[in-house]
Amino acid sequence: MSIPIRYSAGLFASTIVSLAVLAADDTEAQLRQLREQLSALDQKIRTLERQREVDQEIAVDKAKAQPLATIDDKGFTIRSADTNFTMRIHGVFQGDGRFYFDHAAGAANDTFLARRVRPIFDGTVYRLFDYRLMLDFGSGLNSAAANVGFVQDAYVNMNIDPAFQIRVGKDKVPLSLERLQSDVDLGLPERGFPSVIAPNRDTGIQFRGEPWGGKFEYQLGVFNGLSDGGSGDFETTDSGKDVVARVFFQPFRDQRAKWLKGIGLGVGGSYGDQRGAVRSYVSTGQQTIFSYLNGNGSTPLTPQVTAGGEHWRVEPQAWYYWGSLGILGEYIVSDQKLQRTAGTSVLQTRADNRGWQIQGSWFFTGEENTFRTVNPLRPFTLGDGGWGALQAVARINQLTLDNQLFPVFANPDTSVSKASEWSVGINWYLNRLVRVSADYSQTHYEGGAKNPATAKDEKVLISRVQLSF
Amino acid sequence: MKTVSSDIRRIFRASLILLVLCGVSLSAKTIEILNVSYDPTREFYVQFNEAFSTYWKEKTGDDVVVKQSHGGSGKQARAILDGLQADVATLGLGYDINVLVEKGRLLPEDWQQRLPNNSSPYTSAIVLLVRKGNPKGIHEFEDLARPGVSVITPNPKTSGGARWNFLAAWGYALKKWNGDKAKARAFVAAIYKNTPVLDTGARGATTTFVERGIGDVFISWENEALLVLNGKDKAEFSLVVPSTTILAEPPVAWLDRNVRRHGTEAVSRGYLEFLYTEKGQEIAARNYYRPRNAKIAGQFSSQFAPTQLFTVQEVFGAWNDIQKTYFAEGGIFDEIQRDNR
Repeated sequence: MSIPIRYSAGLFASTIVSLAVLAADDTEAQLRQLREQLSALDQKIRTLERQREVDQEIAVDKAKAQPLATIDDKGFTIRSADTNFTMRIHGVFQGDGRFYFDHAAGAANDTFLARRVRPIFDGTVYRLFDYRLMLDFGSGLNSAAANVGFVQDAYVNMNIDPAFQIRVGKDKVPLSLERLQSDVDLGLPERGFPSVIAPNRDTGIQFRGEPWGGKFEYQLGVFNGLSDGGSGDFETTDSGKDVVARVFFQPFRDQRAKWLKGIGLGVGGSYGDQRGAVRSYVSTGQQTIFSYLNGNGSTPLTPQVTAGGEHWRVEPQAWYYWGSLGILGEYIVSDQKLQRTAGTSVLQTRADNRGWQIQGSWFFTGEENTFRTVNPLRPFTLGDGGWGALQAVARINQLTLDNQLFPVFANPDTSVSKASEWSVGINWYLNRLVRVSADYSQTHYEGGAKNPATAKDEKVLISRVQLSF
Repeated sequence: MKTVSSDIRRIFRASLILLVLCGVSLSAKTIEILNVSYDPTREFYVQFNEAFSTYWKEKTGDDVVVKQSHGGSGKQARAILDGLQADVATLGLGYDINVLVEKGRLLPEDWQQRLPNNSSPYTSAIVLLVRKGNPKGIHEFEDLARPGVSVITPNPKTSGGARWNFLAAWGYALKKWNGDKAKARAFVAAIYKNTPVLDTGARGATTTFVERGIGDVFISWENEALLVLNGKDKAEFSLVVPSTTILAEPPVAWLDRNVRRHGTEAVSRGYLEFLYTEKGQEIAARNYYRPRNAKIAGQFSSQFAPTQLFTVQEVFGAWNDIQKTYFAEGGIFDEIQRDNR
């Protein structure tokens, strides 16, 4: 019995063990299967989460690849995703008030006016070609055969490289420093006498660039040629052309020493042959203070003065900006051959007219002064403590006409031989776009005693509200 | 009439003196340049920039600050075209610099001839990073096409590294099947069928594999794989170097148009030339790039596993043709992705 019992016990035990092993194998297999399923599920979840992150990244990139239209403080801008095509629509409005004090009868009237009303369209096509069209519908502007006054800028600029660009069309003649300053960035509402002598806008071709990171700036161009202070886009009186060149250095531009960084020095000049009408010169208050004799030239009593050939100008110029301080200075000489026709009498001479100015400005509110647009540190906001930027500006400047002009080429009773002006002004920049200005200007004249505009010193207050965006 | 010649002479004399003074003052300064690079070069250029700043200061007296920007190579090229003011581009592959020539005219067509080794100062190889113990038994590119193997590689449409990966696998297949393009296509398609997620850049793909724990194998730049294997997670991964793989030759170039605008031509050129010096090559090698300089390569030879390397020119030809055939809109990669859906 003992043997079967022993066998039975052994069989039972082995059965139990086998069952246990089988059960354990089964559990192990199930566990392994479960682990694999869990691992696969974990991978799927991780993959889905990662895929979502990548999809978000791609969505952001895709959004960047869409054409973009924005409206902000720089105007309304449309650009293609690759920025090869852009167009910006913006503009300038300057509303002025001019108030004259202690003036002679017949001089200018106090007036409100829209000094500049300018829609501006600029941008780029095919990345390489920049364009700009600036129109003006300001008060008193008109057109003549030689100049469509409503079109201020109209040019294409081939932007080959910052160091070398070709610009064709109507643009500011690169000569006078203050003339090249944007109208919206002027320290005082009206430019000084050097800009009365320097040419304004002309049509031609110019090569320009700013190599060495902007430390050096140059322009070299051929233009139709203008009489002093004029603008033109069509040659009506001669085929002569003006060659204009300007270089400007900012040698310490990337130096650490702030007092050195803002030094800029340069010289501009033009040379050409001009015939035809010559322009009058105007004061800060925009009154005519000097005119060449302008009869019809057919009789000895109606002499007419015209440009008679060679005309050159040269202008050394400089600026200095250090912190809130800004100083700008220029000295221009314009030398022009003139012809006086009175019946059968023809006389010739050369006029050597000069102008200079020194202008200084200071921000009381701590802004960095600059030749370009200023960003107030604390733009004006109602009830939020921001009051904008406050700038004081002062200028002395002078215009000297060649003594040889009087009385044969200009009437000393109606035209001044010298004008000396000083101005003080205050600019309140509410923000980058809106500015309110007031400027008091006083000009002392020598000569022109019978001209109501120059019979007495000009004392004028010019106020301005400006919006530029 | 007044005589003006003496006045004019005075004005010109004064102007001349001012201009001379200006010229004299172009002296010691701080210069800043921007290096726009691809994803895995971050650590390398941090060290290299430091060494270059020291070198340039000693050479010229000027302080130079090098800023870095990193991302997928193709994305970086587009960013430059969109206006990112890079002085130098150190991208993942030659095509991305060709784009800057063709679409941006930022540098001349012969840019590759301006520096030695076709303007590729360091190289890398395409290798495989697997999980600890290589549980899926991966030893060659061939193993990536097996069902059940999850492969991590970025998107060749946006990543230069991914294009090298694609070409490495394709080149491997051509060599294995004696140039049979149909087999190579089917092989590469099978690999991309095993790819659960396509990151936009190589560094993103590293994140997917290493940090997120996704996938069984990561097709990687050798330098990126070695960086992982020498980092904090080194115990978690193993390196597999296929018997045949591609020699990746990332190029460098200064962008003429931008450096002229910034006045940084000399320093940008000096920066890239410094990559070829022994010091520059040593820093590259320490960051697991294969140096071109034989002496430095000898010093670091134990770092790189031996393998048979083929170049992109040997097997595929010019980058522009490669781009058109494989990666452009409607190219082979797009077809593969469409078929795999």
